[in-house]
Amino acid sequence: MMSYTFSLDWFFVTLIFFTGAYCMAVSRNIVKQLIGLEIISKSALIAVISSGALTNNINLAQAVIIVLILVEAVIVATGLALLVKNYRLNGSIDLEKLMSLKG
Amino acid sequence: MISEFLSYSIVPLLSALAIPFLGRKNEKITEILANVTILAGLINIGYILFNPSNHRNQYSTFTQDGFTLLMIFTIYLVAMCVVFFSTRMNDRKIDKNSYYPLIMLSVSAMCSMVMARDFFTLYIFMEALAVTSFALITTDDGRGGIEGALKYFLLTFPASALIIIGLALLMIVSGGFSFEHIQAQIIGAPDFLTFLALSLILLGFLIKSGMVPFHFWTPDAYQGSYSPVSAYLAGIVTKISGVYAIIRLSMFFKLFDDKAYKASEMLLLIGFASIAWGAIAAMRQKDFKRMLAFSSISQLGYILMGAGTFTTLGIIAAIFHLFNHATFKTTLFLNSASLEKNAGTTDMKKLGGMEHNMPVTSWTSIIALFSTAGVPPLSGFWSKIMIIIALWMTGSEFYAAAALIFSIVTLAYFMIMQKKIFFGKANPEFAHVKEVDFTLLSPVLLMSAIIIAAGVFFPYVYDYLANTIATRMVI
Repeated sequence: MMSYTFSLDWFFVTLIFFTGAYCMAVSRNIVKQLIGLEIISKSALIAVISSGALTNNINLAQAVIIVLILVEAVIVATGLALLVKNYRLNGSIDLEKLMSLKG
Repeated sequence: MISEFLSYSIVPLLSALAIPFLGRKNEKITEILANVTILAGLINIGYILFNPSNHRNQYSTFTQDGFTLLMIFTIYLVAMCVVFFSTRMNDRKIDKNSYYPLIMLSVSAMCSMVMARDFFTLYIFMEALAVTSFALITTDDGRGGIEGALKYFLLTFPASALIIIGLALLMIVSGGFSFEHIQAQIIGAPDFLTFLALSLILLGFLIKSGMVPFHFWTPDAYQGSYSPVSAYLAGIVTKISGVYAIIRLSMFFKLFDDKAYKASEMLLLIGFASIAWGAIAAMRQKDFKRMLAFSSISQLGYILMGAGTFTTLGIIAAIFHLFNHATFKTTLFLNSASLEKNAGTTDMKKLGGMEHNMPVTSWTSIIALFSTAGVPPLSGFWSKIMIIIALWMTGSEFYAAAALIFSIVTLAYFMIMQKKIFFGKANPEFAHVKEVDFTLLSPVLLMSAIIIAAGVFFPYVYDYLANTIATRMVI
C-alpha cells in the first residue's frame, strides 16, 4: 500500500498556486490570464482532496470537489463569454488596452 | 440553510425561470412579473421584521437568526427600488427578457447566501451571485460595461481559490464546514490551524468586497455598468458577496477572545486604509458615478472597522452601517441614473446649477450625502458614532480619531460634488433639462424617508438592533 504523503501534497499545492499566480502576473493576454486562473483553482481542488485523505473523510471531499468543478465550469464559461464579447467590441484580447475607464 | 426563509430564494428563482417564457410576446408581462415577485417578498419580509411579537424574544414562530432576517429585508428593499426604477426608466436598448431574470437570479442567490449555515453553501452561492453580476454589468453592451466586468472577473476570481484552500483546512480541523462545527471547535480547543483557515477565508472575502489593497476593480465595475445596475451592485450585491461574510467571520473571531487580537489589528488597518484612500481618491474624481464608487470603498472601511473590533457593539454597528450604506448609496446611484437619463451625462465638469431643473433629485442627494457623512440626526450618524464608540472601548483611540476625521473629509468631497452638479453656475447647455417624473423619483423618496426615519427614531431602532438582532445573532 502506498504511504500517504500529506506534506508533499501541500508542497505541490503551493507550487501550482504560485505557478498560476506567476502566469497571471506576467501575461497581458486575457486568454493566458484565464489559464492562470484555472491553474490557481486546480491547486485549491488538490488541497481539498488532500485534506479529505488525511482525515479519512474522502467521501465528503469527493462530493465537495464534484460541486466545485461544476461551479468552476460555470465561472470559466462566463469568463470566456466576457472575453468573446470584449473581442467583438474592441477587436483585441490585450489586457493593457482595457484602459478607457480611469481617474 | 435556514428552512423557514427558503421561499425568499425559491420564488425569485421560479420567477426567473418563468419570465423568459411568459414575456416572449409581451414585454409588459416581464416587467409586471418582476415587480410583483419582489414586492410580494418585500411585504412578506417586512411583515415578519416589524411584527410586534418578534420584538420581544417570545411568541415568535420563526428562526433565531436576526442578522439573516435584516439582510433579506435589505436585499428585497434595494431590489424593489432598482427593479421599479428600471421598469419606469423604460430603456429600449436593453433586452428585458434577460435583464429581469438576471436580477431575480441574483436576489435568489443573495438570499440563499445569507441563509447559509455553512461555509461551503456560502461559497457556492457567492459564485452564483458573481456570475449573475458579471452578466448584469454588461447589460447595455457598452465598452465600459465589458471592461468593468472583465476586471471584476480577473481580479476577484483568485479570491475563490483562497476560500477553497481555507475550506480544505477547515475540513482538517473540524471535519465539516458548518457554523456549529466551527463554533464548537473554537470554544473547545482554539488552535492555530482553525485561525489560519478562517483567516484565509477572510482574505478571500476581503478581495471579493474590494477593500483597499484589492480595490482596483470596484470603480471600473461601478462606473462602466448600466446605471440602475450600478445602484444594485453598489447598494447590495458586492456588500452581500463580501462584507456580509466578513461580518459573519468576525463573529467567529470574537469567540477566540483576545487570542485573535492580531487579526483585529489587521482588519482595523485595512479598514483605515480603505477609509483614507477611498475618501482622498473621491476628492479628485470628475465623474459622479466614479466618485460614488470611491465613496463606497470608504464607507466599507467603516463597516470593516466596526466588525474588526470583534465586540458585540462593533458588530451591531457594522450591521447597521451595512443597512444604512444600502439606503444612501442606492439613493445616490439612482440619482446619478436620473441625471444620466435626463441630462445625458454624469461628468461633473460639464454639469452645473441642476438644482433649479431637478430640485427633488438635488434634495434627496443632500439627505443621502448628509447621512453618508454622518450629520445628525440622519441614520448614518448613529451607525458611525456606534462604530467610533466601539473602537474607543477596545482601546484603538487612533482609529477612532481617524474615523471621526475622515467623516469630515467625506462631507468635504460630497459638498464639492453637490456644488459642481446641483449648485453653482448653471450651464446653458442643460437649461432645457426637466425633473424626471414622479414614478422614477418614488424609489429615491422611499429611501430618503427610511434614512430620516431610522435616524429620528433611533432609540426604537437601537432597541430593535440590541434586543432582536443581537440576542438572536447565533452564528
